[in-house]
Amino acid sequence: MRPLHERNLRTFLADVIRWNLIGSLGFQLFRIILLGVMGLGIYAYSFQARYGLSVTGMNDIVSWGFYISNFTFLVGVAAAAVMLILPAYVFHDPNFHRVVIIGEGVAVGALVMCLTFIMVDLGGPLQAWHLIPGIGIFNFPSSILAWDVLVLNGYLLLNALVPAYILYSHYKGRPADERKYRPFVFLSIFWAFSIHMVTAFLYQGLPARPFWNNPLMGPRFLASAFAAGPALITLILAVIHYSTTYKIDRSVFNKLRLIIVISAIINLLMLFSEVFKEFYFPTHHSSSAVYLFFGMDGRTSLVPWIWTSVCVNLLATLVLAFNPGKSNPKVLLPACLFLFVAIWMEKGIGLIVPGLIPSPLGEVVDYLPTWVELSVTLGIFALGITIVTWLIRAALIIEQDYSSV
Amino acid sequence: MTKQLYSALFLLLCITLISDSGAASEKSVLDEINAAEDRFDSRAVPLFKQVTDERVLAHEEYQGGPFWVLARKSQIERYKCSSCHTDKSMTAQQGRELTHGNVILEHGDEGQGLLCIDCHHPQERDFLEDKKGRKIDFDHSYQLCGQCHFRQKRDWLGGAHGKRALNWAGERTVYNCTTCHDPHSPRFKKRFPATYSVELD
Amino acid sequence: MSVKKDDHEPIRTDALLEKKSSRRTFLKGLSIGAAAGSAALTAGCIGSVEAATPEELKLRWQEFFKKNYRLMSQEEKDGTVARLERLAKMRDNIDLQMGSYPPLDGVLYGYAFNITRCEGFMECVTACVKENNLDRKTNTQYIRIFEMEPGKLDPSTGDGRYYHEVPVENKFYMGTQCFHCEKAPCTKACPTRATWKEPDGIVVVDYDWCIGCRYCQAACPYYGRRFNWGKPEIPRDEITVRQHYLGNRIRPKGKMEKCTFCIQRTRKGRLPACVEACPTGARVFGNLLDPESEIRYVLKHKKVFRMKEELGTDPKFWYFID
Repeated sequence: MRPLHERNLRTFLADVIRWNLIGSLGFQLFRIILLGVMGLGIYAYSFQARYGLSVTGMNDIVSWGFYISNFTFLVGVAAAAVMLILPAYVFHDPNFHRVVIIGEGVAVGALVMCLTFIMVDLGGPLQAWHLIPGIGIFNFPSSILAWDVLVLNGYLLLNALVPAYILYSHYKGRPADERKYRPFVFLSIFWAFSIHMVTAFLYQGLPARPFWNNPLMGPRFLASAFAAGPALITLILAVIHYSTTYKIDRSVFNKLRLIIVISAIINLLMLFSEVFKEFYFPTHHSSSAVYLFFGMDGRTSLVPWIWTSVCVNLLATLVLAFNPGKSNPKVLLPACLFLFVAIWMEKGIGLIVPGLIPSPLGEVVDYLPTWVELSVTLGIFALGITIVTWLIRAALIIEQDYSSV
Repeated sequence: MTKQLYSALFLLLCITLISDSGAASEKSVLDEINAAEDRFDSRAVPLFKQVTDERVLAHEEYQGGPFWVLARKSQIERYKCSSCHTDKSMTAQQGRELTHGNVILEHGDEGQGLLCIDCHHPQERDFLEDKKGRKIDFDHSYQLCGQCHFRQKRDWLGGAHGKRALNWAGERTVYNCTTCHDPHSPRFKKRFPATYSVELD
Repeated sequence: MSVKKDDHEPIRTDALLEKKSSRRTFLKGLSIGAAAGSAALTAGCIGSVEAATPEELKLRWQEFFKKNYRLMSQEEKDGTVARLERLAKMRDNIDLQMGSYPPLDGVLYGYAFNITRCEGFMECVTACVKENNLDRKTNTQYIRIFEMEPGKLDPSTGDGRYYHEVPVENKFYMGTQCFHCEKAPCTKACPTRATWKEPDGIVVVDYDWCIGCRYCQAACPYYGRRFNWGKPEIPRDEITVRQHYLGNRIRPKGKMEKCTFCIQRTRKGRLPACVEACPTGARVFGNLLDPESEIRYVLKHKKVFRMKEELGTDPKFWYFID
């Protein structure tokens, strides 16, 4: 670490870059693999740029597929940072204060992934400037997509600038002025709920799609986000705890587990409510749910997918709730991982694709992502992981240095 | 600070919802349509293609006044009928063909259908004859068809049956009955569709 | 996530400075190389910039930065049409006659479909494909015809992919396409206002303004919209050269398209291709604001209904029976 009096904004940026380029062999290997996967993503995208979206598995009926599924899920992960901010700033939990910056780093990474997924899903990405108000046209407030663009970018700014300010202050060896950033933190608490509600409204506001057009989408999104997001954060905190000197108190894990369990139970309750509505007296509007859970016209590709997701979700929730082993990480961490994956399955492909099947005129097709979609998705995930690693690594180094001074 | 924020956002939400509402209202385009009673001069619409097929002015009017009907006489292969059908007797080569052996008469239910003489004028073969004994020109066969098929004729006059030729604007030219329906076997034949829809992969 | 099981020493801030510089420089170089290579890959596929003449590049540059069509003056509209005609001539040696003519005054287009008279011949579909320069490779069709069982009016109970002799006894035929709703959910959903309802009632898309997000396609309850997943391919001799900017001009890839009530024909008083092609006269088209029009006669004297009326979209396409 360079001496305090030499530090300024330029050295701040230089140090952040430097810290992320040097490290142990394991870390370098990790970086190279991520870079390689990103390269694969770019290579796959080049096909899409040349031939259009016909290289994906999407068609006029399933017009949104793997990209939008991942976008939907990751907005939830980004919103879940609020579950660290709330205990830290509203309930003044000192242990959460230590980890809040990690949550914000995850939120930034997840948001960048979301915006990238939108960009790769566009048929005309070069025309994206048409959205900018002033030089283009921004259909606000009619279009929910316009709202979504606003809230996602706003949340990105909040979660990037507030920690940047705090970290820079700590880098310079002085405490950050809480009066300056506290209102923005509270804004970001409210904003976290709104980004996910607005994303849910994207689907909820379409009467053409009865699978989505129900009032439970928004609350359900929140519940599943606050189960999956903290599960991911638990995993990341465990990695940090075991592989760095930045130690995290047991109580954080216990409280996170509680948040996850409550959210996961609410999520399952809402799932039950939706299933009841669809299947107690099935109407024409239930055909999407029938396709998803039981298949239709011989098309059953999503049936094993959704049943696996629901069963694993249930199992993981039960394990986390009854907590055999009393917060033993050997039980806790796999349960978090399985819950995360199960919610990703159900909220990603298990939500977007059935909403579009059957088509508004009743035609049923199956959807399967192509290698292009899978590679681009992997590339974007690698990008997200890279960003999160960069941010957290820099943040932890600064925080450790600041607390040792 | 937070309270003010919440109330400001709540106000914004209300404004958005109110300005965007109207979904539950009873307004429909039909109100606008039914209120539109002013005459529209469709002749003022600049046409880029005019009807070039031969046409005659119809003997009846539709709700917009007089209209044109596509002529049929030029389409009938062996018009004028009176070139053969005179009072004199005659000998003909290819007798079977010339004596309309190629006409398949399937107009009505089997056994109870129409016969040639039900429509064709027995003396003046260049004309048709309706049940009231009136002479009807081939170009105006709708007056004959309409005797039985009065519902279709009424719809045809108004525009719910049949087809308009080429333009929706300008002078109205419509297809004659026999432009679409072969008067001897008027029912459309079964056929393969012109194309099909493929399954999306 | 990385779990550094092989590296027992956790990272310490002072330890970072002790790494060998040669390994650092090597890995740095590798990373930069990989990034540059990927950038080159992506750049190499953004259009064939090398193969174009300066004039073509200039036209494409102007086309890229133009406004939304609805905000253009008539002069600008004529300008963009001229550029598109010139580009088509330069690239494919086709002489187009593209128009930008505005809507007619006092006109609101309406459509009626007689489900008693439709026999499922699908002449309308072929005429539409030809007139609107639809992609032959993916068999894009704006019009869908469903073979229906009597007793149900919902197209989801019908067969949209039949191919046998028609009409089949005891079945009826129903066609769908974009219904040009007065309260279209698609125009509300578009984030850039690339699709809107013209004053004469036609819901149009400015293909060059569309960003291809497909939100409108998710919002349409009638399967009225189609997306250009690839570059449309039409045989040269089948291209309809009489085009309108908002209508049947050949769309770029990655853009939304739909039935436009043959705007290139109807704004010049001509019937849409489907109406003209129907051999049984099952389709009726006209000006809803003209009390003497055929469409008004149908609405007044026939039992009409619209599809999914309960959704409140207010479409201007009615079905009726004799």
